[in-house]
Amino acid sequence: MSGENTVREIGHDEFDPYGTLALILIYFAILSVMWVFMYFVEFLGNDLTVLA
Amino acid sequence: MSEQLESGAPTFLDDYPKEAAVVKAALWSSFIALALGAVFGVIQALHRTNILRLIDSTDYYTVLTAHGVLMVVSFTIFFLVGLFTWATVRSFDRGVESIRYTWTWYGLMVAGTLMAVVAILGGFVPQTDISADVLFTFYAPMQAHPLFYGGLTIFVIGTWLAGADWFWSWRAWKAENPDERIPLQAFMVLTTMLMWYIATIGIAIAVVVFLLPWSLGIFDQINPLLTRTLFWFWGHPVVYFWLMPAYLLWYTVLPTISGGRLFSDPLARGVFVLFLLLSTPVGIHHQYVDPGIAEGFKVIAMTNTMFLLLPSLLTAFTVVASVEHGARQRGGTGLFGWLRALPWRDPAFTGMMLAGLMFAAGGFSGMINAGMNINYLIHNTIWVPGHFHLTVGTAVALTFMAATYWLWPQLTNRRLFSRPIALAQVVIWFVGMGLMSNAMHVMGLFGVPRRTAEPQYEGFEFVTSFGSITELRLQLAIGGTLLFISTVLFVSNIALSAGAPKLSGLGKPLSEPLSGAHDSPEILDNLKLWFGIAFVLVVLAYSLPLASIISRGGVLGPGVDPVPMIIEPLGATLEPLVASLQPLLGRLAAVVGGVGA
Ligand code: HEM
Ligand SMILES: [Cu+2]
Repeated sequence: MSGENTVREIGHDEFDPYGTLALILIYFAILSVMWVFMYFVEFLGNDLTVLA
Repeated sequence: MSEQLESGAPTFLDDYPKEAAVVKAALWSSFIALALGAVFGVIQALHRTNILRLIDSTDYYTVLTAHGVLMVVSFTIFFLVGLFTWATVRSFDRGVESIRYTWTWYGLMVAGTLMAVVAILGGFVPQTDISADVLFTFYAPMQAHPLFYGGLTIFVIGTWLAGADWFWSWRAWKAENPDERIPLQAFMVLTTMLMWYIATIGIAIAVVVFLLPWSLGIFDQINPLLTRTLFWFWGHPVVYFWLMPAYLLWYTVLPTISGGRLFSDPLARGVFVLFLLLSTPVGIHHQYVDPGIAEGFKVIAMTNTMFLLLPSLLTAFTVVASVEHGARQRGGTGLFGWLRALPWRDPAFTGMMLAGLMFAAGGFSGMINAGMNINYLIHNTIWVPGHFHLTVGTAVALTFMAATYWLWPQLTNRRLFSRPIALAQVVIWFVGMGLMSNAMHVMGLFGVPRRTAEPQYEGFEFVTSFGSITELRLQLAIGGTLLFISTVLFVSNIALSAGAPKLSGLGKPLSEPLSGAHDSPEILDNLKLWFGIAFVLVVLAYSLPLASIISRGGVLGPGVDPVPMIIEPLGATLEPLVASLQPLLGRLAAVVGGVGA
């Protein structure tokens, strides 16, 4: 279906969601950095936990 | 924008006036719960930060129970049944089989809610012996008035009958359309309900077999670890019960609003099947610090939880790709430039996108919660409410509100009272939650407990590495206040819309997926198969832990007095671990087989 604001119809074969891929890769990068921070600084760096 | 509204298509109200009345009633019930929940929410936020204490601290659990139950049981589930009724009727393009029956389950849900709410609010009235200060998790040995458990039971029965209503429509539709694929929205409704039928076994047993008779004085003690484990048997899948209606909206409505088409119908079906399979056998991940459950079982629950990442990531990809498709059809270009081409002035669009963004942030804190070791860092701290206010409290709640802006005109044939206010409302929610949730996460890292009226102690200071506790408290309180304001704006906008003039042609058809149902294997629609596998997985995941809890504590438990759980000797821990490896392998095979099929 084409809405009011459609300037061009894009079918399945002409569409590669590389913008989505880029966003998801950025998200992964953020997740990894934050996880490493949480694990090594907050978790291992604190005492008073039962483990480690 | 206004021309776009006048697509001239008939609305849901035009086509199905009787069903539209039920949908509206269900949504109103949901919004009333949201409004009340928000009042209790802001009271808590101001109370526990010591900014304004309107209530006595001894009443804090009454408030917190009301907030929890109204938000995560009434608000979410009433919205779900309204939305699912709309989605089923719309996608099968047929009215319900019996409108009387439909009103019956709705009536049961209302009656159940009223019973539970009366029991909870009774906690404010010391003259009665009615109270239910047990929080939405109702762990024994905290005990509620029978009215509370009875209300919950009737509410859940209402949802079961609602599910039966949609299966009934499916059967009738299939008889007339034997060779067609189940329409996508109906498919999502049906798989979600199959998950719900499995999940509610846990809570039905906990409440009907143990807690209700116990509160009636039939048993004088029950096994707290058993009812707690049965609670979480339901307590994890219920998060997907909240989330699936939001996913339904992201997959089937958001692409249209953004000017595009769903990237892939088969992928969407696969995701819902995976949630059906994987939602329930993970509940023990909420019990990582429960003594009395062997570590091996917790490891299995953690492993299963990690599998759940798969459908979540597939969703992120599919939904964002569909939005990108919309942006490119609207003329967007570049690696990120397409983001600018999106309809950011549309409150429905912006609300859902902000909800999705918060969900991504919630994915991070969820990952921390899910790790068995790192979970110790934040267990039972205010970090945990920080996490789920991002997920159910925003990804779900804000999506529901945003979608209402899109759906409401089609249920009433009236325009929204104010779109600019609606846009401001979703942004205020986002900002408010950003503040409140951030403060909760950071405070949690410093050990500030959740579920505490006065988290301030003599002779002990919470040590923060950045910001001060005072600043964080202020941030939490400001965030909570903004959220309250946002809720008021939402509910009044909807209420005031009743005064807008009637219009025709407000209907908004949904776009077809880029890759349609015919591209997906037929087996995806074999609901019996998926239900069967899901059931087996649950039996595998839970029979050993439950057997161990019962064999050690007894069905009616080691008593409700202080519950000293015995730490298991090493042998007893390893044995179930070894025994449980086998089902794990079987489960892996089943899952892999399921995905491959
Ligand atoms: C109006 C905005 C809201 C405010 C100001 C708010 C505030 C709060 C606060 C401060 C707490 C922590 C209390 C404590 O642990 O001591 C809390 C807990 C909770 N909130 Fe909210 N909240 C809001 C909206 C929501 C929404 C939309 C949901 C879900 C749909 C939700 C679900 C919950 C749940 C389940 C709890 C935990 C209750 C418990 O520990 O038993 N809240 N809320
Ligand atoms: Cu969970």
